Amino acid sequence: MLKSKSLFFNYDTTNKFNFPDIKLKKGDSLLILGESGVGKTTFIHILAGLLRPNSGIIELNGVNYHDLNDRELDLFRGENIGMIFQKPYFVRNLSIYDNLLLALYLSKKQEYKKNIKKILQDIGLANKLNYKPDSLSQGEQQRVAIALAVVKRPSLILADEPTSSLDDKNCNKIIALLKKQAEIANSQLVIITHDKRLKDQFNKSITL
Amino acid sequence: MNIRKVAWNNIISSPLNTLLSLMLMTFGVGIISLLLLLNNHMQEQFQNNIRSIDMVVGAKGSPLQLILSSIYHVDNPTGNIPLEEVNKLTKNPLVDFKIPLSYGDSYNGFRIVGTTHQYPKLYEANLAEGQLWNSSMQVVLGDAVSKITNLKIGDEFFGTHGFDENGHVHDNHSYVVVGVFDKTNSVIDNLIITDLKSVWKVHDHAHGEECNHDHDHAHGEECNHDHDHAHGEECDHDHNHEEKDAYDYESLSNDLMITSMLVKFKSPVGIIQMPRKVNETTNMQAALPIFEINRLTNLLGFGVKTINFIALIIMLVSGLSIFISLFNSLKKRKYELALMRVHGATKIQLIKLVLLEGLLLSIVGTFLGLLISRLSLFIISILVNHNQKISNIEFSLINNEIWLVLTAIFIGFLASLIPSFITYKINITKILSNA
Repeated sequence: MLKSKSLFFNYDTTNKFNFPDIKLKKGDSLLILGESGVGKTTFIHILAGLLRPNSGIIELNGVNYHDLNDRELDLFRGENIGMIFQKPYFVRNLSIYDNLLLALYLSKKQEYKKNIKKILQDIGLANKLNYKPDSLSQGEQQRVAIALAVVKRPSLILADEPTSSLDDKNCNKIIALLKKQAEIANSQLVIITHDKRLKDQFNKSITL
Repeated sequence: MNIRKVAWNNIISSPLNTLLSLMLMTFGVGIISLLLLLNNHMQEQFQNNIRSIDMVVGAKGSPLQLILSSIYHVDNPTGNIPLEEVNKLTKNPLVDFKIPLSYGDSYNGFRIVGTTHQYPKLYEANLAEGQLWNSSMQVVLGDAVSKITNLKIGDEFFGTHGFDENGHVHDNHSYVVVGVFDKTNSVIDNLIITDLKSVWKVHDHAHGEECNHDHDHAHGEECNHDHDHAHGEECDHDHNHEEKDAYDYESLSNDLMITSMLVKFKSPVGIIQMPRKVNETTNMQAALPIFEINRLTNLLGFGVKTINFIALIIMLVSGLSIFISLFNSLKKRKYELALMRVHGATKIQLIKLVLLEGLLLSIVGTFLGLLISRLSLFIISILVNHNQKISNIEFSLINNEIWLVLTAIFIGFLASLIPSFITYKINITKILSNA
């Protein structure tokens, strides 16, 4: 359950954002569309607990972010939220497999270690588990980024412009993969993008 | 998977930076550690060999030379002194015991020292086999001498004049081995010990009395190859003895010469009174081992301090190198640090990561440094002249090295302090939205 209510955030007096209320159930997915500069990334960072709103409430699984201190919020995010970015990020000196292991270690979910190979198979990279991230193509890297977000079976997956740097073919592949993995993990999925190609792929969408 | 493993992977992924930081730390620590080990070894040797000797009486010259030659047997003797005069002087209630030494010859680089039975007793040298000498020309070998020369009991050999191996061979009198001492870890191990009379007998060339007392120059080498009996005038330092039949050296008279006399006092009053008396009223000199050795270590100390200072600077540069490579890598790695935070890493875990990288470098560097210093000492001990052999290399940490290790690790810690502070301060949202 993800719930947000009257979220407001301002960087300074001119950059003020009011965000729409959202309410998601397990297994739901939501597309948030918006042009550049409307606070898309700010919104997703607030939903992830990376930024604290000036006012308003967010709740995930009944836990109000406001009640957690910074350290608790870090741990809460690690356990419950998986994130995907426009550009895939990795710990460059670790192999694909070790990156996934690290994600589980940091989110204290090492019991999902046995899922790693299965997920790498699902994204078609089972043969590259010992490769360093830099040696993969852009599309492959984005697939690994999805694996990193879903391997710990989070209850919420947040994707920030996951397709904007991909061509149509890769775009469709990634979205299909993301939807499938969210389904397997039984996660709520929120995608924020300006990429109109995605509009038809989701039945629930709002525009900022 | 844990933070340690990530730190380790980061270190080995930039081998050149790592090599530079490691090498600097290794050399810095290695140099200081080697100096500490050598210093430790020297101090031990110095202290161990002084035993209870309070004063050495010998011919005028450099007091340090007198101590180095008659206690450590590393320098040339200062010259000869008349046995009778020393005896007169030291017949004093303040004197606990005295041991006469007469030397100047060697065999295969090992010194032959004429003395009394009290000398090996002073160093607690026990016989491994055989017996002590009971007449002239019988010798007992130190442990290292017997091992390196392979001389056995009953073997005979000729002494060589001087301390190098090209000296004149005294082939008129041969020594015979009657015993071998146990290892004592003292100067005895490298000596061939015999009776006073043996030395006198070998050098029985009654020559030049008039030049006995005026050799406060370093001599030995320049005149030890040509002392045939006709022209012994200018080089009479230590072979100016006549054999007497009577062995009781206390009652030996007039023109018998020894090289030096080791003296132990009954009370500290002797240390204050006697040296002055000797130096002011006789043609001989008295030197205090403790005083001279302190002087020597102070002299060496300056050089040691300078090298230590340079090595410390190398260690600091290593710290700087660790700092620079961490600092540079942070710029490249800010995204992955942000990613780790997104995965659920706390700020403390990221600080731990950066600190660990710095500390791992300094700890591994320190360990390698300590290893290299011991390896160097081992190599030095093989290369060094065999009769000043460094035995008992210390492989465990010696006292001062604990400070060295702590300093090195502290430098690594300091070097990673600022980078870890930067890590603490990173703004994840800013990094992640600037994609």
